[in-house]
Amino acid sequence: MRVTVSRRSALAGSLALPFLARTGFAANAIPLGAINPLTGAGGAYGPSMAKVAEALVARINRTGGVLGRPIALDVEDDQTNPTVGVEAAHKLIDVGKVVAIVGTWASAVTTAVAPLCWQSRTMLFTVSGADSITRLPHHGYIIRTQPNTHLQSGRAAGFLLQHESKRVFGLSAQTPFAVDSWSRLKEVLAKGGATGIGDIIYDPKQTSFRSEIDKALAAKPDTLFLNSYAPDLEILLRETYQAGFNGKRFTFAYAATDAVLKALPAGVTNGLWSFAPSPDVTSPAYKAVQAILGISDPDPYSCQIYDHVALVALAIAKAGVASGVAIHDNVRKISQGPGQKVSDPVAGLKLLAAGKEINYDGASGPCHFTPIGDILNCKFLFQVVENQHNKTLFIS
Amino acid sequence: MIAAFLQAVVNGALAGSVLALPALGFNTVYAVLRFPNFAVAGLATIGAYAGWVANALWGWPAPAAILAAFVAGGAAGALCDAAALKPLRPLGALAAAIGSVALNIVLENAVRFAFGNNPRGYDLPVFRDWRFGAIGIGPQEVEDAAIALLAMAAVFLLLRTTRIGKAMRAVSDNATLAESKGIDPVRVAWAANILGLGLCGIGGMLVALDTSLDPLTGFRVLLSIFAAAVVGGLGSIPGAVAGAFVVGIGEELSTLVVAPTYRTAMGFLAILIVLSFRPRGLLGERAY
Repeated sequence: MRVTVSRRSALAGSLALPFLARTGFAANAIPLGAINPLTGAGGAYGPSMAKVAEALVARINRTGGVLGRPIALDVEDDQTNPTVGVEAAHKLIDVGKVVAIVGTWASAVTTAVAPLCWQSRTMLFTVSGADSITRLPHHGYIIRTQPNTHLQSGRAAGFLLQHESKRVFGLSAQTPFAVDSWSRLKEVLAKGGATGIGDIIYDPKQTSFRSEIDKALAAKPDTLFLNSYAPDLEILLRETYQAGFNGKRFTFAYAATDAVLKALPAGVTNGLWSFAPSPDVTSPAYKAVQAILGISDPDPYSCQIYDHVALVALAIAKAGVASGVAIHDNVRKISQGPGQKVSDPVAGLKLLAAGKEINYDGASGPCHFTPIGDILNCKFLFQVVENQHNKTLFIS
Repeated sequence: MIAAFLQAVVNGALAGSVLALPALGFNTVYAVLRFPNFAVAGLATIGAYAGWVANALWGWPAPAAILAAFVAGGAAGALCDAAALKPLRPLGALAAAIGSVALNIVLENAVRFAFGNNPRGYDLPVFRDWRFGAIGIGPQEVEDAAIALLAMAAVFLLLRTTRIGKAMRAVSDNATLAESKGIDPVRVAWAANILGLGLCGIGGMLVALDTSLDPLTGFRVLLSIFAAAVVGGLGSIPGAVAGAFVVGIGEELSTLVVAPTYRTAMGFLAILIVLSFRPRGLLGERAY
């Protein structure tokens, strides 16, 4: 008998090889994808996110899997780049046939990947903050554990008002959330009697922001709102210091990383405020993330991806079927229903197997979502830089 | 308005002087080997990391660290060229150029593998700007510009007065004729690579001093380096310097009329205009 293999199926087969080789039990495993920023601007977070997702999947598999099937996780690097993210999503969805993708980080990547997900009825769990993401026509196929820009900027403005900022100037990297973030900040500042005197959106790939800083300082601000990623924040901090600015500076914690603080002299970074959605530090799930990473203060994104994997596993167990549609239809039933509160996904799986209802609260907080997939509320951590280290001011 | 204009010119000139070194290196290699070596970005990053190891880990002062950046960029560049690009050159400039793009990605990831993704900082102080009325000038930038000018002067002196410099110019003018006169093209290729890519190493360290040191340090300026080289005239040594200043000042001046977000686009518009009137660049393709 002559067996013919078309070029297309040979290609699909060869693309699928890494999956088969990695998982070893592709036949009945539930395929799950992760797209993380292992390199690029988000490279400080991607590796630990991937580690947490892999550890939780391994634990679920060790304890019997979901519906008696193991989960096969494939982690892809998006290089914090939308083009690469889309390639990764194509591979995961078209070849890997994953039921869900977890852990997209940069808003630009999530925005690019989302249409592929909802068109193929693959659930997308993201940690990106841009408001525009959940406004996409996603038919319920996006769940976001990160508070949106509206919620975040409102809290940021509240902090600045509390610290008597009167004239705030924004320097924002060109991102999908730059405009929303500034307009919300300005709105809340105005209500509190302060002014958002101007905002410049810059191209973060530049090597110098001298002109932008000159323009900003010409407006005589008392506070700079630096809506940046880590590489451009480093340049902005150095150049605003060089330009003689002595006022207040406020940024996002994902930009003010330890590495950025170590790369600059203490005199340049001292007094820099930053904030981040805070994980639920009292949750047993948070302690599980601490144990996986072997550190006392895991970042919010690693906590959120833990919840992504947990929500996928629990929704599949609740539905009795492993598919994107099943997760879509059941994710709120296991996260915000009247059932028994659980923070351990494995315990949740056992309760579901016994026919009980559950309500999963995770490492990132209570996983309660609006109809368009936004998180309802969460706590925020505010910190200040002292001698090249972030010091916690308060969590509220 | 005049102050804003002057400030933009100063910012642009300082940015241009830092860009000039890697552009000079790029054109030196092009002049002798006749292909655009896009691995200059990766080699600039290697130079920047070599400078960091020398300065932050071993405690060397800045001038010695800059020398380390030159040696690392030149040595890594010449070895990579011999291993990866030399075999491609007989297939044409396009094959070698594409090979250099691939080599660039390999080098960038090698750096990432060795040093990780996190940004690093040199053990050097950050100074406040000097103020001259409404104009601010950064001491660090002035120092960078001075180093760049010194290195450029050294290159011109080397090309004008030394045997190997003259041999490089001869090969660049007419390789066949130079070989018939007994100039060894292999030796000249090594010299061009060590010199050109060593300059990229220094350029990479200067860029990193001004911005941030991470595996993408060189890649972020690759397009501007290429643009500077093309504007000045591909393969022209003084052209690289002129091109770098045109790109630097052009980009900064554009911020006076359009939002800074479009700065890079305006820089390239300036390039389009220059090339419309002078298709071979400002100073043509003659090396020197």
